[in-house]
Amino acid sequence: MRTYEVFLKREGKDEFRHAGSLDAATPELALVLARENYARRAEGRLMWVVDRADILTADESFLAPNVDRPHRHNDGALVAARRRAQRESS
Amino acid sequence: MSTRTWHDLGDPGDLDGFVAFLAEGGIVEPGDPMPDEYRREVFRFIELHANSELMGGLTERDWIPKAPGLRRKMAIIAKTQDEIGHAHLLYMVASDMGVKTRDQMLTDLFAGRSRFHNVFHYAAVTWADQVAIAYLVDAAALISQQAVLKVCSYGPYRRILKRIVAEEGFHMRHGEEMLLTFAEGTEIQRRMFQEALDRWWLPALQLFGPDSKPDDELITFRIKSEPNEVLRDRWVQKYAPLLTGYGFTVPDPDLRHDPDTGRWEIGEIDWSHLKATLANAGPDSARRIGDAARHWADTAWVRDALERTSARAA
Ligand SMILES: [Fe+2]
Ligand SMILES: [Fe+2]
Repeated sequence: MRTYEVFLKREGKDEFRHAGSLDAATPELALVLARENYARRAEGRLMWVVDRADILTADESFLAPNVDRPHRHNDGALVAARRRAQRESS
Repeated sequence: MSTRTWHDLGDPGDLDGFVAFLAEGGIVEPGDPMPDEYRREVFRFIELHANSELMGGLTERDWIPKAPGLRRKMAIIAKTQDEIGHAHLLYMVASDMGVKTRDQMLTDLFAGRSRFHNVFHYAAVTWADQVAIAYLVDAAALISQQAVLKVCSYGPYRRILKRIVAEEGFHMRHGEEMLLTFAEGTEIQRRMFQEALDRWWLPALQLFGPDSKPDDELITFRIKSEPNEVLRDRWVQKYAPLLTGYGFTVPDPDLRHDPDTGRWEIGEIDWSHLKATLANAGPDSARRIGDAARHWADTAWVRDALERTSARAA
């Protein structure tokens, strides 16, 4: 038995979304079980079923360098303050 | 909803910090560190839910050959598939918590070492019982599950509950439709449903459990959002008037409608029945567990074939 993750996409809507997981003996049975467990009422028109072991997982330390990058954001506060200053001086 | 993760808070042994994290809407995912108490309590809750869906689905299946007419047979087949499906999804979520494997959970269940909801410890005597179950029990399950979904702090459970709650809604409406057939039926049909109601009112009412303790850990851990007595009362306020409105008698001599408050007040509840079911000693517990275990053994060849196919594919 292998564990699979199931993703569904509704037609014309959203992105592929994680639906859940299941255990199956073969990839073919994984597809059948995914359909019968997660798409019984046409919850998706497209389905991805992925062996959990095939998912590349990045841990926190790998993602950490991008947590603190304020220069990649601009919340507009500085712009707003300068705009205000401009208005008041004119 | 908080965007912080429990990782940011660090120490999984810091129970107070963890509870504060949950209180501000924190969501826990399977790989996250979590206090042992949380893992244990949430796992127990999900395992109980999974077992109940499975035992409920098996009862449902018993009635497929006996359901009157093709349309109802098809509806009940769909419901059976839903309930077994719910069990499947919940066992996946529970086993990912790393407390017991799915095999261990099933072994414990069929050996009578685990719990499942009180309502599946009683015999469904006639087709009207199945209707009473679909109407009253699925409605009670729906009310409890909606209350969990409102706050549920465990990510995978929360996502699965959304689909379960949607499907329980189908079951309840299906139950109400069949109830209407009885209500509009002959004297014999009406009497048949009344007898089923006499058997199922109390078990359904007790599905919510006795009043919650003030320090209920499941409320602190944001699994339950409201105490048992509040959920039970919500069910009573909705179903007592519906049933009496259809001309049936709720089997509680003390039930009365208070014209001043507009509320339905019920009599004293005898909890001894619930206690018996919790010890797997309800009226039909032994038969149900025995049947489930026998079916599991009878279908071992399917699992063996799958295992062999799986080994060959690897
Ligand atoms: Fe269910
Ligand atoms: Fe149901």
